[in-house]
Amino acid sequence: MTTTDGPKSSAREDLERRLRGRRPGSALKFIGPFSPLLLLVVWEAASRGGLLDARFFPPPTSIAGTFWELLTTGTLLEHSLITLTRVGIGIVLGGVPGLVLGIAFGAVQWLRVLAGPIFASLLPIPKIAILPLLLLIFGVEETSKYVIVAIGVFFYIFYNTMGGVLQTPPIYFDVARTSGASRWRTWSTVALPAALPSIFTGLKLAVGGAFVVIAASEFLGSRTGVGYMIWSAWQTLAVSKMFVGIVTISLLGYLAGLLVALVERRLVPWSRQ
Amino acid sequence: MAEPAIDVRGVWKGFHDARRDQTVIAIENFSFSAAPGEFICVLGPSGCGKSTLLRILADLDTQDLGEVRVNGHASVVFQEHGVFPWLSVEDNVGYPLKVRGVGRAERRRRVAPLLDLIGLTDFKGAYPHQLSGGMRQRTSVARALADDGEVLLMDEPFGALDEQTRLVLQQELLRIWQDSGKTVVFITHSVDEALTLADRVLVMSARPGRLLADVAVPFGRPRDILELRRDPRYGEVTYELWRLLRADAATSASPEEVAP
Repeated sequence: MTTTDGPKSSAREDLERRLRGRRPGSALKFIGPFSPLLLLVVWEAASRGGLLDARFFPPPTSIAGTFWELLTTGTLLEHSLITLTRVGIGIVLGGVPGLVLGIAFGAVQWLRVLAGPIFASLLPIPKIAILPLLLLIFGVEETSKYVIVAIGVFFYIFYNTMGGVLQTPPIYFDVARTSGASRWRTWSTVALPAALPSIFTGLKLAVGGAFVVIAASEFLGSRTGVGYMIWSAWQTLAVSKMFVGIVTISLLGYLAGLLVALVERRLVPWSRQ
Repeated sequence: MAEPAIDVRGVWKGFHDARRDQTVIAIENFSFSAAPGEFICVLGPSGCGKSTLLRILADLDTQDLGEVRVNGHASVVFQEHGVFPWLSVEDNVGYPLKVRGVGRAERRRRVAPLLDLIGLTDFKGAYPHQLSGGMRQRTSVARALADDGEVLLMDEPFGALDEQTRLVLQQELLRIWQDSGKTVVFITHSVDEALTLADRVLVMSARPGRLLADVAVPFGRPRDILELRRDPRYGEVTYELWRLLRADAATSASPEEVAP
């Protein structure tokens, strides 16, 4: 037997070296996330240089100044907490019935056939279009805000949960049945976990939708919240403050989405491929 | 003779194909019985209704005509993808106990020896997507053992595995079954698998599924599934089974009867 050990191992080392070097542009990957900063720099220069109308697009540094001012006086925090509370309560208020009905409609065919069209006919109504009606029924206080967010959230969760249950491979229900699971046990041990990835897709969409609905609702039906802050800034032509409001509500939506993703990783560990 | 563990008499099962407006017979006048502790393989081509037969035995489906008696509870090992992706190996195996209200500690205690039996103790916390196909089917087998029915129904459980893994699992299944006293009905389309495992092979025709032959397998127990293949009778019975299947394929393969 001939020993090919020497040249073989050097060929292997050579190959390893080359494969290691092939990692695609790690410097580019590092810079990538910061490219929006470039946009801010261009904006700053354009606004100060008169290329952009500073009345509509105040330089980012001046917006940052306003941001700091609103933050230190506590105004921003106060409005943010109010908006977050409305969104949070609305999500629970709409999400829980969406989840329960979604599983029921997914698992029970006659229910789906009989009552499905009711929800299908309500779905296309733009949620913000019924705000005046809700103000009429629930008044201008907090309840109307909770309800409008809840209605928007309900449809996202309901349809995604139902879809998740309907897409469950029938074999899982067969396993439950041959194992002697009762109907209730089958729902809790098969239908719910099988639909969980789909439920979280619905929840992410619902969170995004909730911030759209609450911002619009606060424009008109409220004297508090980040949406109101943006609206009142328009009325007083406080453009920097308006930008602060826009950035804040985007940030809140983004962080809420991150939170959902975090919970998903804990509750749906099997989908982490 | 003792009361049969399974008794099937003149079973028919049909479906109505609404698209073509015609009735499709899946199972035609099927009868057989299995003695307690017997290992029976149902062998037939794809779409012959053998899975439908198993679903009827498992009470997941009902026959249109005829009588089916299964003595005691039947546990089922399904085709691949039958394990729950959202449960760990340990929780998958313990699932039948859980739905019957067995507490967590007691479940753990009863699942442990089963995990040991199928060699998955080190993987009890893993999720199915982290396992190989063979390990997933081991989990499936262990779950059926936890279910602990007197009858074990297996629907092509090793069909999607590679040949080597399949041989290993077949040998393990025989080892486990040998000591259990369970009656097994094992569905397969593999002549080799049927011969390797069964006491009796029920050969099923292409659709509509009829019983073509009830073939006794001449090998004793316990079996070494490798040595089996050196036995001169192995070739003979293989030939006999293929002859039956080929004759059926030749008569049933007229164009309008080919399954969609």
